[in-house]
Amino acid sequence: MIARVNFLPDERSHEATRLLPYVMAVMVYLSALALMGSMVLHRSFSEWTEALSNRLTIQITTPDPALREAETADVTRLLQQTPGIDFIHRLNKVEIENLLEPWLGEGNVTSDLPLPVMIDVTVSRTMAVNLDALRGMMAGISENIHLDDHQQWLGRFVKLMDAVEYTALGVLSLVVMATVCIVIFGTKAGMAENRETISIMHHLGAEDSMIARAFQRRFMRYGLKGGAIGLVLAFITLVSLMSLSRAMMAGLVRLPDMPVAEGAVLLVIPLLAALLCMVTARITVMRGLNRMV
Amino acid sequence: MGSEVLKDISFNLKPGSLHFLTGSSGAGKTSLLKLMYLAHRPSRGKITMFREDVENAARRDLPRLRRRIGVVFQDFRLLDHLTAVENVALPLWLSGGKGTEIEQHVEELLAWVGLKDRMKSRPPVLSGGEKQRVAIARAVIKRPDLLLADEPTGNVDPAIAKRIMHLFVELNKLGTTTVIATHDMEMVKRAGAARMHLHKGRLHLLDPGDSDFREEETEAGEFGGIRLDQKEYGPKIYGPKIYGANENEEGGGV
Repeated sequence: MIARVNFLPDERSHEATRLLPYVMAVMVYLSALALMGSMVLHRSFSEWTEALSNRLTIQITTPDPALREAETADVTRLLQQTPGIDFIHRLNKVEIENLLEPWLGEGNVTSDLPLPVMIDVTVSRTMAVNLDALRGMMAGISENIHLDDHQQWLGRFVKLMDAVEYTALGVLSLVVMATVCIVIFGTKAGMAENRETISIMHHLGAEDSMIARAFQRRFMRYGLKGGAIGLVLAFITLVSLMSLSRAMMAGLVRLPDMPVAEGAVLLVIPLLAALLCMVTARITVMRGLNRMV
Repeated sequence: MGSEVLKDISFNLKPGSLHFLTGSSGAGKTSLLKLMYLAHRPSRGKITMFREDVENAARRDLPRLRRRIGVVFQDFRLLDHLTAVENVALPLWLSGGKGTEIEQHVEELLAWVGLKDRMKSRPPVLSGGEKQRVAIARAVIKRPDLLLADEPTGNVDPAIAKRIMHLFVELNKLGTTTVIATHDMEMVKRAGAARMHLHKGRLHLLDPGDSDFREEETEAGEFGGIRLDQKEYGPKIYGPKIYGANENEEGGGV
């Protein structure tokens, strides 16, 4: 039964647009990598900044062990009397060695290596602590006491995070623009290839929108097909990269897991690619047909 | 702008009339047909069709007008990737016909033009005559208001040609205004219909009684018995001009 006549020849016989799904696959691959990379980094940055935002690290580097212990006791007392300090934890030797091992290598932390006293302080999120006053009081105990609120490092970190995210957005914009250009080019080539068919259909009474629908359906399929291929490749690449990074950076930096919920957004990319192809093809065809008699 | 292909043509076609369009190669028959099936717009002049001025019709109105016109192209213009059935079904499908209904009509018509065994064949495997019959079936399947045929019997044997002419005459009796461009003067004489003769881009109308008009006289510029019909008819074309790069080139650019 003749349900619907597909007046455009089979896709496989279209020399001009046959490879378009693969170009779309590359575009979606790049988009997915940019987007997913941005998501993973965003999550990493967020976790790291979150972990450090209410933490203080105090180092006491006085060389004389007895004096260092006395100063440690004074600092601890001061911290206990300071409102807004939730938790004070002096790191033991093993914990300090664990921190140093990734940098010095396992077993290279010798007993004669002078280690500072390190105190990890958790600050209340609800109550502000006057860090300048605290720093001043600690300086009164000893000039070898260093209070680090990580803000200097975090500031640079946030700037880096912004730069990476803007770069990812820029890559994504370029990919979208390139995709639109490719689809316009492909549509025009497809129209030129089917010029005679379009002319016949016009003479039989086909409306421009009918012809445009045939092209937009075809380009939507290209977008979906290419999008699915690109997404699978991007997923494989991301999983491989994350596994590799985790193995290489074990102990140095804690990499977050793949953001599953946010990652699900990636599934929308092939649909968006298909929509982009469809709309671009329709506009291009309608404009092209408008120039015909 | 090239030279004029058609000059100072004025004629009316009465609804339901049958006309032959004759003239030597390059006289402008195809160009005139192109104006009539709205493939070209005249560089000047006025074309009225179905009580509408169509020379400057908006693009959105063209499909509606074109659906009322059936065209048999000289070069068939079939879609090679579609079967004979699908090619013939296109006009019905474009008008929103239902699948089963379309199939039944199309198969009946294809059987009638002698292509019962070639329904599922695609144009590349059909002979010239078979393609022509598919093209004719496609043009008449919707019983158009106006049927334009460019050399419709040029590639078929006499028996099929007779059958096709019979089909055109029957359609014409049902009210379809028909214009058949042809070189076949025997067919013109047999049909005894009015004749429009193009010579050097100018149109001359002949009554059925003038069908013994001799081509050599035309070439010599002696148009015995020719008169321009001024009666009030249905589709009208007033003085369009088509410009082509070459005066003798049929279907030259507008």
